Amino acid sequence: MLDKFALLGFGPEGWGWALLQGAGVTISIALATLPFGLALGLLVALGKRSDSAVLRAVATLYTTIFRGVPELLTLYIIYFGVQLLLQHLWQKLGLPGSFSMPPFVAGMVALGVVLSAFSSEVWVGALNAIQKGQREAAAALGLSKAQAFRLVVLPQLIRVALPGLGNNWMVLLKETSLVSVITLPDIMFITTRANVVTKEPFLFFGAAMLIYLVFSLISARALGRMERRANRGFAAFGGAMR
Amino acid sequence: MKSFVRLIAAAALTVAGATGALAQAKEWKEIRIGTEGAYPPYNNLNAKKELEGFEIDYGNLLCEKMKVKCTWVVQDWDGIIPALLANKYDVIFAGMNATDERKKQVDFTSVYSKTPIWMIGPKSTKSDDISPAALKGKAVGAQGSTIHANYLEKFYKDSDIRLYPTQEEANLDLLNGRLDYIVADALALADFLKGKGKDCCRKIAEVKRDDAIHGPGVAGAVRKSDTALKEMISKAIAETMADGSHKKLEDKWFKYD
Repeated sequence: MLDKFALLGFGPEGWGWALLQGAGVTISIALATLPFGLALGLLVALGKRSDSAVLRAVATLYTTIFRGVPELLTLYIIYFGVQLLLQHLWQKLGLPGSFSMPPFVAGMVALGVVLSAFSSEVWVGALNAIQKGQREAAAALGLSKAQAFRLVVLPQLIRVALPGLGNNWMVLLKETSLVSVITLPDIMFITTRANVVTKEPFLFFGAAMLIYLVFSLISARALGRMERRANRGFAAFGGAMR
Repeated sequence: MKSFVRLIAAAALTVAGATGALAQAKEWKEIRIGTEGAYPPYNNLNAKKELEGFEIDYGNLLCEKMKVKCTWVVQDWDGIIPALLANKYDVIFAGMNATDERKKQVDFTSVYSKTPIWMIGPKSTKSDDISPAALKGKAVGAQGSTIHANYLEKFYKDSDIRLYPTQEEANLDLLNGRLDYIVADALALADFLKGKGKDCCRKIAEVKRDDAIHGPGVAGAVRKSDTALKEMISKAIAETMADGSHKKLEDKWFKYD
């Protein structure tokens, strides 16, 4: 029994380092995706609330597609499909050498696009929660539309959107496990390889499960803190309303 | 604006002409090799996250013979041909049998390995007859999207064919008594019969190869456009067969009993 656990250790036969590096890949792809996905999501949300019918249609089509298509398929389309397309264009243009999209970028783009589609709904909800009077007051103070958004709307938006976005983050953290199919050595990639060599599936899948759980526990903690911070000044008011 | 477009087009054409000439004289100085890293003893990752196995040693040996620099890419089995076509690497060494079906998508180098195919079953199995008639109504397992699955589907229509995502799961079901037979590569099965399957199961018989289904053996896969690369690798393979270095590596990695 004990020598089984040595397989998870850091000795010559132990997969400990490999698993830790896998955990590093998982967390770095998730962290790299987050700002990109959230920013794109906010843009899409603004598109959905835009005065232009064309922009609204494009934004709606975008979320319909990327919320509807399975993440794995999105990943394949970007890693293989878009690669082939760009390579084709590359050769058409007669550029020297060949084009190659690094797997990390492909993973980041695919997960980011899906995250943006889901988070845009959260952003729309949060934008709707901010009363019209706020924008009108900003306009009355002589702020431009962009200034009003940056100085008045955005700070309040984050408070309202945080719980929903936190949820999106947790989903993203788990979905990074898909990148193992495009050669990125994340936790799942290492686990399946270790399993093939050692024939100890339960040991390694159990270890992978624990690593993901630790990540989500830390995230839940951090999100709780951020929400408390964003809510400062609102708590007393909320209490009074009850 | 128009003149700008024309300028770009002219520039593009010039570069196109230059690379066209280059492409013809393209010399392979560097080769990227794709493998699965999950198919011992052909190729797998070890605890240090290094690749090891017959194909890793053999691939490096071929590169030495061809005097090229080689890098390895580890890609899951499911996307291993698409990634070759998407130019993620230049050749696949991943225990891949050169079947007619795959030849529709890729070209193969000459064969560098040929594993026997076995059928195994519980020790209590009385007859060593594995003809389709003898296996009528029996539960026969194999890994899905492999030559073995295709083989069962073509010749053993009257048996109860069960396909599994990995060989491990088929082996487990034989242990659990849900299967009467498994068909797979002798290497994979010998491993199982030495380990978990030691007490339950035995080799029943070797399966006769059917060239249309099984292909001539394991070979490197390249894009159809890379004829020069294909010939270069095949030549290196022939050299290793002639000087005995291929045999040496086979003895090192492949143990059937």
